[in-house]
Order: sequence, then C-alpha cells, then structure tokens
Amino acid sequence: MTLADLQALDDRYLMRTYRRAPVEFVRGEGTLLWDSEGKEYLDFMTGISVCSVGHCHPAVVEAVGEQAGRLMHVSNLFYTEPMARLAERLAESSLGGRVFFSNSGTEAVECAIKIARKHAHRRGIAEPEIVSFEGDFHGRTYGALSATPKLAENEALGPMLPGFRSVPLNDAAALREAVGERTAAVLIEPIQGEAGIYPIDDEALLAARQACEETGALLILDEIQTGMGRTGSLWAYQQTSVRPDVLTTAKALGGGLPIGACVTDAAAGEVLEPGDHGSTFAGGAVVAAAALAVLDVIDDPALLREVRELGAALRDGLLGLDGVREVRGRGLMLGVGLEQGLDAAAIGADLLDRGLLVNVPAPVTLRLLPPLTLDSSHVDRAVALIGDSLLSCSLP
Amino acid sequence: MSPKELPSRPRPLATSAAERIAVIIEATEKAAASVIDDAEEQASRYLDEARAEADRIVAERLRAVADELDPPASGARQAPHLKPVESPQPDEAPKSAAAQRSRNGSAGARLLATQMAVSGSSREEIEARLRSGFEIEDAAGILDAILGPED
Repeated sequence: MTLADLQALDDRYLMRTYRRAPVEFVRGEGTLLWDSEGKEYLDFMTGISVCSVGHCHPAVVEAVGEQAGRLMHVSNLFYTEPMARLAERLAESSLGGRVFFSNSGTEAVECAIKIARKHAHRRGIAEPEIVSFEGDFHGRTYGALSATPKLAENEALGPMLPGFRSVPLNDAAALREAVGERTAAVLIEPIQGEAGIYPIDDEALLAARQACEETGALLILDEIQTGMGRTGSLWAYQQTSVRPDVLTTAKALGGGLPIGACVTDAAAGEVLEPGDHGSTFAGGAVVAAAALAVLDVIDDPALLREVRELGAALRDGLLGLDGVREVRGRGLMLGVGLEQGLDAAAIGADLLDRGLLVNVPAPVTLRLLPPLTLDSSHVDRAVALIGDSLLSCSLP
Repeated sequence: MSPKELPSRPRPLATSAAERIAVIIEATEKAAASVIDDAEEQASRYLDEARAEADRIVAERLRAVADELDPPASGARQAPHLKPVESPQPDEAPKSAAAQRSRNGSAGARLLATQMAVSGSSREEIEARLRSGFEIEDAAGILDAILGPED
C-alpha cells in the first residue's frame, strides 16, 4: 500500500480528529524510526513522551511476548501477579499508598477527581470544586477536560462538568485566594507539557501545598508527562518542594502500550470503595508486564543521572543557537522558545524533512521529548539539525 | 422391606436444592462476616501501625535536619506538611504573611533537598536547584545535614 493509498483509506474511515503529517512509520529501534520508504528519523517526540525507553526496547518486547503467550486478560475480578507487583512498585517508589490502574492518562485523572470529590463529600462539602492553573492539560474525557481550562472553553462540546476553576499560571496569591472551604483538590501539572513546557515555580507549588493543608483539600499532581524519569528523577515532584497526596501517571509507563495509574498516599488510598470505580481492561497482565519492564529500565539512578546530564547538554546546545530565545523545562522535557517572527510549525515540518521528529505545541515553541535512553551523539545531531533548520527558516 | 427400611420419599428437587442453597448461603454469609471482621480489624491495625511508623521515621529525619539547621527555641519542630499543622496558641502573636511565607519557604527548601537527595541527585544539583528556586546562596548547612559534610 502506498502512502497515498493509506491516506485515502484513513480519510475515508477515520474520524477527522487529527491532522497527520504525511509520513507512514513502519519500524522503530531505540531513538530511531524508519518510514515506509526506508528513510531514517531521529525521534525527539517519542509518541508524545510515551516511548521513553526507546522504540521496541528488548526488555519490554520480551516481557510483552512472554506474558502475551501465557495470559493476556482475565478482568479485575481475579488476581494477576503483574498488576499487583506493578502497584507495589509504583506505590513504593512514590507516595506509599494505593494504586488504581487505568488505560490512559485521562482515565487516571478521572480516578483522581473521584477521589477528590468523595474525600470532599466526607468533609461535608456539598459542591466540591477543583482548582487548576490556566494552561494545564489533564485529558480529554469529561472530568479531565473540565479541568483543562483551554479545552473546556469549547462550547460545542459543552456543558462541561461543574466544579472546576482555574487561576493564572504561577500566581501564588490567586491560588491562595481560590482555594477555600469548597475546594476538593488542587490539580496541577508540575511542569505544564501541552502548553509548551512551563515549570510551576516553587512559590506557587508551596502555596498550593499550604492551601491544601489549611483547607483539607488534596494536592493532586498530574505526572502523566513529567513522571517516569522524564525530568531526571522518577517523579518530577521529587525535584520540587512539595509532596502530593495523589499523583497520576501514564504515557511512558507502558513503554508504548496503553496504561495509566492513579497513585495515592496512605490516607487518600482509603477513599474509594467497592463500586466507586472500575475498568474492564485496566492493569491487564500484558500491559502490567510491560510497565514492570519499563520501570526496570527507568528506575535506575545511573539512567536518571544521564537524563539530567544529557538534558543539560541539550539545553546548552540549544541556547547556543541563533533564533532560540529560551529553553524551559527539566531533564529531557524541554520547551524551546523561539525568537518572535520564527514559525515553529514551519520549523517542525522542516525538521521532519531533515529527519528529526519534534512536537510543536505553540506557535513559537518546539517541544523536545527524546527517549531517555539516547546518547550524546543523538543530542549533538538534534542540536545540529535544529540549528540548520532555524538558519534556513530565518533566511529572508 | 419394612416401612422403616423404605427410602424416604424424595422431596421435590426444587425444594431440596433451595433449602441446600439457603443453608450454604447462610453458612457462607456467617463465615464471610467473620472473615471480613477479622480482615478489617487486621487491616486497620496494620494500617495504623504502618502509618505511625512512617510518620515517626519521616518526622525524626526531618526534625533532625531542621534542628541542625535552625535549633528550635522550645518544643519540637513540625515536619513540613507531613505531620498535621499545629493550631496556633491563643496567646501567640499572629505571624505576618511574609514571615509565614518565609517559614514555608524554608521548610520547602529542606523538603526539596531531601526529596532530591532521596531520588539520587548530586550535591551540586541540589545546590543549584536551591539557588534557582529559593535564592539560597549558601546551601552548605542544608546539604551537610542531609548528605553529610563534604570531605
């Protein structure tokens, strides 16, 4: 099937919810991808921070193959070892409480919202409210969507769920003002990803933690993009001045397979009871086996140190390029702010032609999310390609 | 065959099965209730013990760090957000918002350093982060308390 045939098939049968780039990928290995015409690409996008251990990591492939050949699915009405072991691994590496598995990040956020609302009802709050920062992205199911201020403005999809409000990013005073008697939770990303990589500053994080302490609300950190080693520690909150009550994870957790999780501390882990929540597929044996293999790779101090060091090298290289105004983020989660007048979308398309995949979340921002397993040669190559592209796109 | 030796007349199947099921359900419910009670009691005890132990370890560690940095005038220092915040005593002078923010910032800086150390960051990395996030130019005290003095 040619690319044109594939595009025609896609256009006829798939809902038009995505605008795809004109490339068909057929193979991946480590940091590299190959398209249907044999062209090689350096992947600094990783399926939006999913393939953090690189494409087709042998340990993940082996774990998936072994588990798929033995047992794939029995539902959550029975015990399976991979799920229980994964829950232990996630809880013990973070908040020490309990885990609810889901099939995606947005579903993990739904679980967190349920915990927050039920926790609030127990405190006598009839109409609980969840506070987020403007620019946050928490997902596309209705609860998570309602907590995503920009997307929640889409009236064609309304009405949104009631009980959500937002304050300007990093405005600690506005956050303190917004959190009150009705607040069930503060739900924020430690680093805003979809918005273009904007870290939450320490004052705002501390304000969120303190406001939650004072009101009894829960602090929920959405670590769907920042977690699983992306910022150079297993969880991004470990490089901040707060510890959440609940965190959500997904994306990189399954190494390419769909899985999410809502992880709590001991107290929040006691909120949901039988019948409150569920999922047919979640925590299935195959995805759980994959996630355990991913954690074996990522939860390694040497690899996490490499993430921080290569992230710093990538940042330094980018800052040395003409056309780069600033580099935001931490570890290997970097947003490249371009000089005014440069068109990030055009540069993203040009980089694709040159064999480098990057994401363009905003008109003047490139988002770089390479595999955590890359090496310094990949960093050098990406910086060189971006430099060439900036030069060529800024020429009159 | 005497009437006594005759097998008793079989009861209708449905009645027999229903009675047996009722007996089984009753026994199962009793057993389940007992198991649930035991399990809940055991789980509750285990949870309480685990929480108490976790609170004790974290509080001790953070108190040791805090005391070394800034010895308390009196009484035990509360670990940042990991233990309940004490209500102010009625005769305590109300703290200014700036003082409160400063105290929170200090606690936040210590928690940041502890979490970074636990997650494998180096002394230099923690120092840089304290400088950028909290404008702490001399972080030696915090770092020595958490990581031990430099050689």
